[in-house]
Amino acid sequence: MSMEKSFFSIFKTFFKIGTLLLGGGYVILPLLTSELADKKGWLTADELCEYYAISTSLPGIVAANTAIFTGRKLLGTKGAIAAITGVTFPAFIIITLIASFLNEIVHFKSVNYIFWGVGIGVITLLFLAVKEMWEKCIVDKYSAFIFAGCLLLALSGKLSPAVIIILAVIVGLVYQFVQNKRIKND
Amino acid sequence: MIKIYLQLFIQFFGIGVFSFGGGYATLPFLYDIAEKFHWYSINQLTDMLAVSSVTPGPVGVNMATYAGFTTAGFLGAFTATFAIMLPSFIIVSAVFKILDKFKSNLYVQSVVKSLKPAGCALLAAVGIKLIFTSNLHLIGTLLLITFLISGFIKKHDPIFYLGGSAIAGLIIGHLRWIGV
Repeated sequence: MSMEKSFFSIFKTFFKIGTLLLGGGYVILPLLTSELADKKGWLTADELCEYYAISTSLPGIVAANTAIFTGRKLLGTKGAIAAITGVTFPAFIIITLIASFLNEIVHFKSVNYIFWGVGIGVITLLFLAVKEMWEKCIVDKYSAFIFAGCLLLALSGKLSPAVIIILAVIVGLVYQFVQNKRIKND
Repeated sequence: MIKIYLQLFIQFFGIGVFSFGGGYATLPFLYDIAEKFHWYSINQLTDMLAVSSVTPGPVGVNMATYAGFTTAGFLGAFTATFAIMLPSFIIVSAVFKILDKFKSNLYVQSVVKSLKPAGCALLAAVGIKLIFTSNLHLIGTLLLITFLISGFIKKHDPIFYLGGSAIAGLIIGHLRWIGV
């Protein structure tokens, strides 16, 4: 079943994906595959998989990157704009509604108790996310070294996260440069 | 008044350029902003994270919208969301044109290999800071340890931890075991 690729149909598809996305960017891939590959046949599952993989190696929000990639492939810049606004729109509306509501009720005692408790749930989620990332990216001595170095720098509190990221980029470039030299010398 | 939107734009554009690792990767930057600009408190930040984890939409987008809204209302939410997305738009569009070269470049691979552990470390640092800055008390610390052990044994849905901890907070608070 093939549907015409227009700004509006792309927006609508990504709007739907935006309402179904729950729990981080990782779930966008199965959603995209079901909507774009299986139902509409606009792209193949392999293409989507590739866009997702590259999106995780680029800065920014993974789901946003993947949406932009896919939209661009479908309909150029217009498609990219349709995809990114579509996937963001539901989140934007829901969050502004919740935020304005929560800001009204924070002075209730019970709400404060709940938030105190939820703070613990949040720290749990955070460490579970760290564990998941760790399993994927700490693969050798080099990545463990980068992790340890960045952790110490971040905990010292003297450098902003952006500066630490820039340092990691520089170390990555130098490391590759040294390896290239070594290969040439052998 | 225009100044706050401009500052929001610059800060969230920066997050879009430097955050790395998906999901909670924007958190270290939002934490940094809270410490430097005091647009929202650390407590508000954990509330935002909780809400963002259980509402539809990419967590990073949710957090940006929420933080922007808390800082400067609806227009603030729009500014932050737009600004965090703009670098993605530029970067992805550039990479799209040189996709094959980008993938096979050794320097790119090496930088990505450094950025992933770096993003992971930044997040771990925020987690550690939150443990020390949140007023956990003994009971909260025990609860956290219980949650972490259960999470390391078996993966649950975020709502399990957030719902569980919300109920626990309500009970513990009303029993006056903590002074919140």
